[in-house]
Amino acid sequence: MKDDLLALRDLDDGWLDRRVFWDRDVYELELERIFARCWLFVAHESQLPKPGSFLTTWMGEDHVLVVRRRDGSIGAYLNSCPHRGNRVCTAEAGTARGFVCNYHGWSFDLDGRLAGVHESAAFGREPTFDRSKLGLTPVAQLDTYKGLVFATFDPDAPPLRDFLGDFAFYLDVMLDNDEGGTEFAGGSITSVLDCNWKIAAENFAGDALHAGWTHASGAEAMLGRGVAGLSGDDTESYHVNVNGHCWEFNLDGVGNAATLGDRRIIDYLRANEARFTERLGPLRAKMVGSISSVNVFPNFSFLPGQNTFRTWQPKGPHRTELHTWVLVNRDAPEEVKDAWRKGAMMTFSPSGVFEMDDGENWELATRANQGVVTRRQRLYYGLGSDTAIEHPELPGNVHRGQVNDANQRAFYRRWSELLRAGTWDEVPS
Amino acid sequence: MTSLETHFEVQAFLAYEARLLDEERYPEWLGLFTEDAHYWAPGVENRGRSDKEGTYAPSRMAYFDDTLDDLRRRVTRFTAPTAWAEDPATRHLHVVSNIEVEDGETAGELLVRSVFVNYRGQGDVDAATLYGRREDVLRRVPDGGLRIARRLVVLRHAVLPAKNINTFF
Repeated sequence: MKDDLLALRDLDDGWLDRRVFWDRDVYELELERIFARCWLFVAHESQLPKPGSFLTTWMGEDHVLVVRRRDGSIGAYLNSCPHRGNRVCTAEAGTARGFVCNYHGWSFDLDGRLAGVHESAAFGREPTFDRSKLGLTPVAQLDTYKGLVFATFDPDAPPLRDFLGDFAFYLDVMLDNDEGGTEFAGGSITSVLDCNWKIAAENFAGDALHAGWTHASGAEAMLGRGVAGLSGDDTESYHVNVNGHCWEFNLDGVGNAATLGDRRIIDYLRANEARFTERLGPLRAKMVGSISSVNVFPNFSFLPGQNTFRTWQPKGPHRTELHTWVLVNRDAPEEVKDAWRKGAMMTFSPSGVFEMDDGENWELATRANQGVVTRRQRLYYGLGSDTAIEHPELPGNVHRGQVNDANQRAFYRRWSELLRAGTWDEVPS
Repeated sequence: MTSLETHFEVQAFLAYEARLLDEERYPEWLGLFTEDAHYWAPGVENRGRSDKEGTYAPSRMAYFDDTLDDLRRRVTRFTAPTAWAEDPATRHLHVVSNIEVEDGETAGELLVRSVFVNYRGQGDVDAATLYGRREDVLRRVPDGGLRIARRLVVLRHAVLPAKNINTFF
């Protein structure tokens, strides 16, 4: 039964089993085979400006401490003392010379090594006490891609560049459109949604369809009109995906950015169009602020143009913690960065005029599945069944048309592959 | 020390304001602000006592960092017939307490501190409770009444225990 569910046999025909959003054992398997195995976004390098800078975050339900070490490298460790398990860092961010557990005073340096213990003479008499084996547990691998820091708990996971594959070509639209690279504007905001994490992730993976309907009132507030239709014959738009990473977009250049309602942002994008083109080529330059949305598998999403970056942290099958940040080009004028920080919050934050309508939909779409009979009804994911194309410039699986379920199907196909594979070797490449 | 009369006036003003929000009378609520008003509700971070960065700062992300025009935009969304999530209406309750009034830095202005709790019932079973401290600058205007020239809202939550903030504080 479970194998049958995980195989998602009807997915290619456009159907999804609702149990993927509800069952506790499916969720536990996700923690093991997706969150304890995939490369997960943990930080932007700009959040760790100097030795001792740290932040805490989640990899699945494991709490992780991410640190800039003295040699400038970045480390990530389980935020749990190997003595009795207490957190060794209780702040969400800051600067420290090391970390001391509040319970029994065990202290750890920035490399995660056990530096000292309270009542050390007593421990020193124990033959089983080996300081070198009692440091904080590091992640298995950590790597960066153009400012973004990723980590995985799986030593057998492929290198980050292979995990991202050709999706790096698309990520460069946001991460490498300017010579100075990117940074996160200050701070972060976190909220909770009583929804399954995948409902949020698949929305960013491909759901251009909802924008014009769900967000009609937000568009009214920011643009003075509704969202324009996206499925007209003259609209050049795509769903693309690589290894379950998904980007849906059109080529209007500034459609998303315009919703921030700040002239300085549009002026910045227009003034830099030639430079974007020089770095990215004419096609990708038109993606920089266009109507689009992205999910890096499994739970790291962003919106080009609005520049909101976020993770959907799983807190049980029916609860998600949403962490958000704002990405800006490091060399952009301060007033432009500030406009983005404000605009992203005005549109996509818990008080944002767009985001406000999403949570309600996702919570009720999750909660409906409590009904055993409701749960038997499959959900329709059939849009764009014959839209696959070869494109001379765009790598990965490319589908024509933004109003499409192709990316959502690709997201769940990857989900299925990972849940069914016992090891990374068994995951289809 | 402000007069008993002024304190009473401020208390009545804040209670009236809270009722306008409970009753979703947003255009009237906007009328309580000066044209140059700034409404700021910074994001609150869970940082250590010795952290010089502090738990909130103007340079960091904020739930609201609004001019009056920004607030008007939010009201446009609340009052749009297409704001699906607002129908049925959320049942909001704004409780304002611990009011302290003193003269402001500028003549004709008052510095008013208060605490608030925002309870909400939504849909059938959804509920949320948000709370924090406020610091207002109220300005005396020519018609003799008070207007909000500046408001700082500091929530007591690092992780917002709700899916959204579909009201004002």
